[in-house]
Order: sequence, then structure tokens, then C-alpha cells
Amino acid sequence: MTEADLDLDVDLEGEFEPEDLQGPKPVAHVGPPVLVVDDLHIVYRVFGGKARAAAKSGAANVRAAKVEKPSFVKRLLSSGSGHVGAVSEVHAVRGISFVARHGEAIGIVGVNGSGKSTLLRAVAGLIPPASGSVYVDGEPALLGVNAALMPQLTGERNIMIGGLALGMTPQEVDERFDEVVEFADIGDFVYLPMKTYSSGMAARLRFAISSAARPEILMIDEALATGDAAFKARSKARIDEVRKNAGTVFLVSHSIATIEAMCTRVLWVHQGQLVMDGPADEVAEAYKEFVRAHRRANTSARAGGVGPRARSKRRNREVAEAKTGDATPSDGQATDAADAKPTAE
Amino acid sequence: MGVRPPLLDYVRDVFSRWAFIRVLGTSTAYAKNQNNYLGQLWALLNPILNATVYVLVFGILLDASRGVDNSIAFIVIGVFLFRFIDQSVHGGAQSIAKKTNLIRSLHFPRAVLPMSQVVSLLTTLVPTLVVMCAIVLLSGLVGSNEPIPVTWEWLLLPCIVALLWLFNTGLAFIMARIVAITPDLDNIINFVMRFAMYGSGVIFPVTKYAEELPQAAQAIVEPILEYQPIGVFLYVARSILMQEESFPPSGEMWLWAVGWAVVTLVVGFIVFWRGEERYGRD
Repeated sequence: MTEADLDLDVDLEGEFEPEDLQGPKPVAHVGPPVLVVDDLHIVYRVFGGKARAAAKSGAANVRAAKVEKPSFVKRLLSSGSGHVGAVSEVHAVRGISFVARHGEAIGIVGVNGSGKSTLLRAVAGLIPPASGSVYVDGEPALLGVNAALMPQLTGERNIMIGGLALGMTPQEVDERFDEVVEFADIGDFVYLPMKTYSSGMAARLRFAISSAARPEILMIDEALATGDAAFKARSKARIDEVRKNAGTVFLVSHSIATIEAMCTRVLWVHQGQLVMDGPADEVAEAYKEFVRAHRRANTSARAGGVGPRARSKRRNREVAEAKTGDATPSDGQATDAADAKPTAE
Repeated sequence: MGVRPPLLDYVRDVFSRWAFIRVLGTSTAYAKNQNNYLGQLWALLNPILNATVYVLVFGILLDASRGVDNSIAFIVIGVFLFRFIDQSVHGGAQSIAKKTNLIRSLHFPRAVLPMSQVVSLLTTLVPTLVVMCAIVLLSGLVGSNEPIPVTWEWLLLPCIVALLWLFNTGLAFIMARIVAITPDLDNIINFVMRFAMYGSGVIFPVTKYAEELPQAAQAIVEPILEYQPIGVFLYVARSILMQEESFPPSGEMWLWAVGWAVVTLVVGFIVFWRGEERYGRD
């Protein structure tokens, strides 16, 4: 654990409280709470590779793994263990709490590896929490139906598989078959194997299948990236429809424009923690500011290289940058960092 | 969310997903043989070629069929049915481990996965059973073998296959849990199954070999070989199809088969259910 990672985390956490304090400004038909996430922690077990030692000292997400200076004997013993019985733990989500209400469309933003998708899957009940809990009123459906589909089989067959996987009965799937095909706009391609589809067609079919189930809580993970303008408009209409029927929509995307267009509220996640939670435009603005700062920091760090080996050099540089208040969207982190340093060792 | 449901609710949940299990199973079976010229024909060719190898090696070259008149029928029945068990164990072992993606993206009782795996194997088994019966009939016409009559008893074959299906589902549950928690064990299964194959008289009557052991060892080994589940299922299937003195129809063996099927299924289901909330975490 380095000081750079650390002070970044600590002051992000310190600056922004969970939404209960900040209070989201309800935008449209916001009903009673539908989902409560209480101090959620997710820990992954990761098999394989020498990742353990590298990960320990590397990404901040892996902080759960104990960091200690190995003695010579230990190093000798563990020189082979990177390949035999290599198991490391990744602490992907670290203490997130929020409340979602009926009729909200919530965007989740954050840089790569910040825990967005993990958070979404945990909220959908797909990854068991290490600690903390998730309370849900209704059945959440993650728009991740593609994992159930089989590319060798026809679209027709896949609509059945996907629909059943989402918990519909065969009759319901039959009833909605035409609607799904129409929404996906794939015409007679539905009778061909899915592996013959273009990526846009496959993505449209996936979205059509998963949103056909009419879930109370719809969760979308980067699904709208592919697809033409007409399809984007149709998906926005579908999302609005879910919201109008007192449902809740979660949307993970890297496209801040998509988030701003579709969501009423945004959660900003960074390194497994909630940085900011509020109305879409406010958070989006802050996030954009952060990304710009991040990009600047990266460009200047590139001189020293950004590979893992060169990372320690870069980190030192980042510390310097952080001290000038450049790398993070907050100030006053110098004191926080000083407070936090002892806990790292 | 992410908490294990009570056992009864879980059972109900799994039953309500029966359509999903069926469609997922048959689709997997179909998709598996989609990528070559002969397509679904391979589902038949595979076990036939497999059986041919064993008939040639053990039936003809080694002549290991002690006390069995029709060694072709003996080996074919053994190989075809054991294949179902073997693949269920392998399929069950991988059903959770290989579907982490699906588990991490959709919410459904995880028991669906091993169950659909076995259903998928069952759908490929049914046509091969017809081939198996045909080979058994033809084998009666070969060489010195007596012709094998088709009797009313043949109608019992679906019953023993159904029991075997329940048994395999139970096995798949247990394997799925074990391998999902400890992926390393996947590598051991192969050896265990090889041992099970030679130990349960799939290609030669192992109980006849056991008679050659010293008295003390025989007392221990023989009942184990005779009443262990794979041996029981094979015995019953052979007693149905082959009219031979070495396999007289036995009500006792049927009871054993029912017992093994029910016990394995129930135990497997409970074992699997107890790990429900852990699947997909790693």
C-alpha cells in the first residue's frame, strides 16, 4: 500500500458522506424505498498466477490482503507458491450504503475496476456479500442474459432460453416473442444461429430479451454501448417505461452522456467506495472534473512509465501531485493522508 | 439478497424452473454437436466407437469375459450406461465452475445447472439406448452366442434408466458443490472414475474375478463390489436385456437400485443446497 493510493481513498471517503446525509433530490415520481444497501463489502477469491504479491502492493482494492515484509525463509517458501495454490483476495466493494426508491433511474459511474459491475451484481443478489446486507422489495433482473444464451443456436431458441432464465414461463415467452423480435429489429435473422449476427444485432436481441421480462428492478451493465441511434432511442423509451411503472433502473456505463441522458440520480464509485451520490447533473459534473484531473495526472506520469514495474516511481510522483491538490477533486487530503499513513503499515 | 433460502422454498423454486432446466438441457445437448458435418449423428457414433474399442480389447483380445456367454452384449450395456454416469459426474463437476458468468449475471436456484446438465446427457442417452438394444439383439446372432429374445421385461429398461437419472443427478449435485468450492478436485475425478469403471464390472465381470481372492479378502470385497451403486445399476440393466444364468432377474437388486437412487438424490440435493449462497463468489 502506498501513500498515493491511500490518501486518494481516504480523502474521497472523508469528503462525501452516503446519500442519507446529502439527500438526493427526487426528480420524477419517486416512491417508497425499493432497495436498501447497508455497508456492503464484496471480497473475491482469485485463483492463479503470481498476482498475489503484485496485487498486495498494487491496486488499492486488494488492501484486504495483509501486507507484511517477508523474511528470507518466508520468501524462499513462497517463491513457488505463486504457482502452487495461488489464491488472492480482491476487496472489490468496500462499505457502500445507499437507498433506492421506486421510479428512480440510477446511474453508476467510476473508472475501470472501481467496482461498478461488482456492486451491481451484488445488489442483484448474484454475488454473496462478505459482510453487510442488501434488502430488496421485488426481484431484481440484471441485464446480463447473454451469459445464458448459446451462440450456436437460433435467435428463436435463445429467446426461449433467455426468457426462461429470467424466470418467465414458456407461455409468457411465447406471448412476448413477436414483441421481442420487433424491439430487437432483427427480422428473419431470428431463425438463424446467433453466431451469425452482427454485434449490434446480438446486443439488441439481448436487451430485448432481458427487458421483456418487465422486472421491477432493471439493471443494465454497459449494454447500450452497441446499437445505432434508433435503438438507443428505443432503449431509452423502454427504460422510461420501467420507471413509470414504479420500477427502478440501474445503469452502469462509461459514457457519461448516456448516464446524464437516462438517469435521475448518479452514484460515483471509486476503488470500491461511494464517492458521491446525488442528482445526475451534479455528480456527472464532478465526475467529469475528476476524470480530467486523472487524465492530467496520468499524462504527466507517463514520462516515468505506467507499467507495474514503473508504478512505484509513478506513485511517488502522484504523491507530489496529490499534495498540490491536483489528482483528486478535493482538498485537505494532506492532513488525511498524514493521519492514514500509520494505519497502512 | 444473497442468503440461502429454506430447503422447502428452495425445492419449490427449483420445481418452478423445470421448463428452464429442460430447455437449457436439451439446448446444451443440441449445441454441443452443432459444429461439425455429421452434427447430431455424433451423439450416436461416439458411444458406438467407444464400445467397439472395449469389445475389441477386452472381449476379443484379452477374452476377459469369464462366465459370461455373450460378452458383446455385456460390454455394450456396461459401456453405454457407464458413460452416462461418467459424463454426469464430469458435467456436474463443471456445471457450476464453468458457468460462473451465468451465475454472476442471473438470479435463479443454482440447482438448475447440475440438473440441466444431467437432463442434457439424458436426451443424448435416449437415442443411444435404442442403438444399444439393437447391438444387443445383433450380438445374439454372432458366433456361438444364443439369440437374445425380446421379452416383456425390456419394458423395464426405461425404469432403470429413470432411476439411474435420479442417481446421476444426485452425483452431479455433490460433484458440483465439491468442485465449485475446491476447483483442484476436478483433476482427480478422472482417476476416481477410471477406478470406478474397472471396479464395477463395466467391461468384465469383476465379481467373478473377486472369487479368486483369498477367503478373508473375498468376504469384504465381494459385497462391496456387488452392492455398490454402479454395479447394482449395471446388474439390473443386464438382467433385463440379457437372458443369461449369470444375471437372473432379482427383486433385491431392484430395491438396491431404488435405494441408491433416492438416497444419492436426497443427499446430493441437500449437500448442494447448503452451498447455495457461496456459488459464484469465486
